[in-house]
Amino acid sequence: MKFFQYLLKIDRRIIYIVMGLLVTLPLVKPLGLGVTSGPRAARLFQAVDSIPAGKTLLISVDFDPASMPELYPMLTAVMRHAFAKNLKVLLCGLWPTGMGLAIKAATDIPPEYGKKYGEDVVYLGYKPGVDAVILGMGENIKNVYPYDYSGRSLDSLPMMRDVQRLRDIPMIVALSAGTPGYSDWLAYAQSRYGMKVGTGLTAVSAADAYPFLQSGQLTGLLAGMKGAAEYEVLVQKSNYSKAYMPAVAAMDSQSLAHVVIMILVIIGNIAYFVTRKRRS
Amino acid sequence: MHVSHSLLTWVAAILTIGIFSFLWKDNPFYKFCEHLFVGVSIGYGIAVTWYNGVYPDLVTPLFRQGKPLYIIPLVLGLCYFCRFIPRVSWLIRFPMAFTIGWGMGVAIPANFQTSIVKQIQGTLLTPAIFARWDVLLWAIISFVGVICTVFYFFFSREHKGALRLASQTGVVYLMVGFGASFGYTVMARMSLLIGRLQFILRDWLGVIK
Repeated sequence: MKFFQYLLKIDRRIIYIVMGLLVTLPLVKPLGLGVTSGPRAARLFQAVDSIPAGKTLLISVDFDPASMPELYPMLTAVMRHAFAKNLKVLLCGLWPTGMGLAIKAATDIPPEYGKKYGEDVVYLGYKPGVDAVILGMGENIKNVYPYDYSGRSLDSLPMMRDVQRLRDIPMIVALSAGTPGYSDWLAYAQSRYGMKVGTGLTAVSAADAYPFLQSGQLTGLLAGMKGAAEYEVLVQKSNYSKAYMPAVAAMDSQSLAHVVIMILVIIGNIAYFVTRKRRS
Repeated sequence: MHVSHSLLTWVAAILTIGIFSFLWKDNPFYKFCEHLFVGVSIGYGIAVTWYNGVYPDLVTPLFRQGKPLYIIPLVLGLCYFCRFIPRVSWLIRFPMAFTIGWGMGVAIPANFQTSIVKQIQGTLLTPAIFARWDVLLWAIISFVGVICTVFYFFFSREHKGALRLASQTGVVYLMVGFGASFGYTVMARMSLLIGRLQFILRDWLGVIK
């Protein structure tokens, strides 16, 4: 009984230290638990894989640095997949604080595949006014974004000659940390222009997206860091990339953390019920 | 171990440790990091919005290209600031009316189509679902869940008899939904911790490759 009472009064900082150590250790010395890809990630992968070479994939960077561990690995993995399949990548964003991350990805990833800015990848930048931006892109992208993020005219970028409006783009992958995000692309780009929409989300918002996956509105879904790891595995298994996979590297820590939390939840409940009778 | 020589990496790492220090207890270093984050975020947001929205979409067409129609959005936009002057604060109603009217007109049909019509279609038991037993099973579970959960939110009659059974079943579905959301939330928070630890161990300290 005393043991359970002690457990219920344990200093939260002890739990933090234990959790910190258990998360850190697998990062330094991986356990090799492995990652398998699920059907949701596979659907997104197949959808991107089936886009004919030379076509454009639109990626909306709708997240900020706070969600970087979950969504940035998705961005790099999807871009690597697209470049390996000789697709062109058009980046845009509905979050002002996502600009730095999109610029970093547009700068770092294309050289791995010998791709050039303006010919194979373009970042349009951030533009305020979510629904007006998407609807405007459906009519004419250059009306909404006459210039790219750095002020270059879209007319001067060769890649943009074949991409006039959303209907010229077979698919969008919306990487969203909340609102605005994938739901706006579904509401405006899909319902009005029939665009195929796939998404990658923070785990917090993933449960809300499942109904859209079940109804077929979403082509695929990557949920949190696990979703990013699944996509990284699919990209590497297909020999599209040999780059460092941050999400896969984090999965051992994630698994260990989940085991600890499950044990803590079970112990906490047992301790609560054992001591409840005594308290009453 | 290859410690980073980048000043920015050091700044980011020290700020990360400052934020984590709250786990031990509240302290001035944490407060400093928190306020710095809020200030930088807002400043960055304002600058980005100015250079990506206001300047190219209003200032340039109006003052550089001489397009007089852009006076309308300028005046409407300025009306928002009337909120700070009590004598003319009523002027804010004009841009609000425009924003709400336009927003509702655009959003209602699109969201109705996306979140109601398509979702109802996704719930229906169509002949294609009967082709495979596993798809059929999940479709029936989903169908029952939608009906029972909607019954739980039906407040016009007391939940007795069949209605009680349906609403109680709806509660089970809701609990499963909350559990799934909580599980995902735990996963998300752990991911953020792991991401920061990866940054500290890889980018800053160079302990992991």
